[in-house]
Amino acid sequence: MATASPSVFLLMVNGQVESAQGLEEGISQITSKSQDMRQVLVWNFPIDVTFKSTNPYGWPQIVLSVYGPDVFGNDVVRGYGAVHVPFSPGRHKRTIPMFVPESTSKMQKFTSWFTGRRPEYTDPKVVAQGEGREVTRVRSQGFVTLLFNVVTKDMRKLGYDTGPLDTQGVSWPSPPQGFPQ
Amino acid sequence: MAEVHVIGQIVGASGFSESSLFCKWGIHTGAAWKLLSGVREGQTQVDTPQIGDMAYWSHPIDLHFATKGLQGWPRLHFQVWSQDSFGRCQLAGYGFCHVPSSPGTHQLACPTWRPLGSWREQLARAFVGGGPQLLHGDTIYSGADRYRLHTAAGGTVHLEISLLLRNFDRYGVEC
Repeated sequence: MATASPSVFLLMVNGQVESAQGLEEGISQITSKSQDMRQVLVWNFPIDVTFKSTNPYGWPQIVLSVYGPDVFGNDVVRGYGAVHVPFSPGRHKRTIPMFVPESTSKMQKFTSWFTGRRPEYTDPKVVAQGEGREVTRVRSQGFVTLLFNVVTKDMRKLGYDTGPLDTQGVSWPSPPQGFPQ
Repeated sequence: MAEVHVIGQIVGASGFSESSLFCKWGIHTGAAWKLLSGVREGQTQVDTPQIGDMAYWSHPIDLHFATKGLQGWPRLHFQVWSQDSFGRCQLAGYGFCHVPSSPGTHQLACPTWRPLGSWREQLARAFVGGGPQLLHGDTIYSGADRYRLHTAAGGTVHLEISLLLRNFDRYGVEC
């Protein structure tokens, strides 16, 4: 009995948005900087998503928008960032830079600081595209760390080679003495 | 036909003396390669870093090629420019690097250079800005006629590029 060859492959991603450094406050739950020396912001926010496709073109990207209150209490945007979901199965850690659009003139910068209406993207998905970015001026501040576990199905059967598993940046706990590796 | 997916990001640039930077990038391939989806060139946002000296662009690259041969493996080329507060642009460096040939995720650091002119032009660049630029962009990624150039080093462009190959083992190509 012949089995039909698969025409789609599946990509399942789960993980969490781990921590941020350099930003004053975070949201998603609203988090504040820790009191200890590290001064980190932790969200520990779960992500669990499965994709289906026939073509790796347009591989999914995670877009993050970070908001926080300013001096007057308004929620203003603190940073945008985007990264592709990793390609090979396994555990991956990614630290992505965050950037925020800049006002065009000093007058506009003062007005936006005063009224609490900072320049922001109407659609944060612009950060995941290349087109139309050349007219934007941003300043980069801060980083966010994400952790991914990726599982794929049938990519090899369709002829795709995603290369060796790249688990750089994640350290595994060493097994106790006497156990086989 | 064998297919190659080049997916990743131009992460940013470091080591440049100017701070508000943007990058014009493009990809050049040989005659055997055909671009199926994706844009072949683009320009990133202008970034002014607040922490450290690395400018971050996070510019996505998503290209899908079909190829009949290995000659003319894709090359990414860059022109890094700086923009001052008046909106004037000045060249900061040219650079290129080949897209990696083995599948998987790669961190690339591409060094850049900029043409130096005569001492008069260098003095003018320090005071007024501007400076010499290449007439033909393909000198960035080709080796011909380079002996006429006198250049100085610029900073480094950082990329994270992942390569997905399809059907390469069917044609007996090992990579």
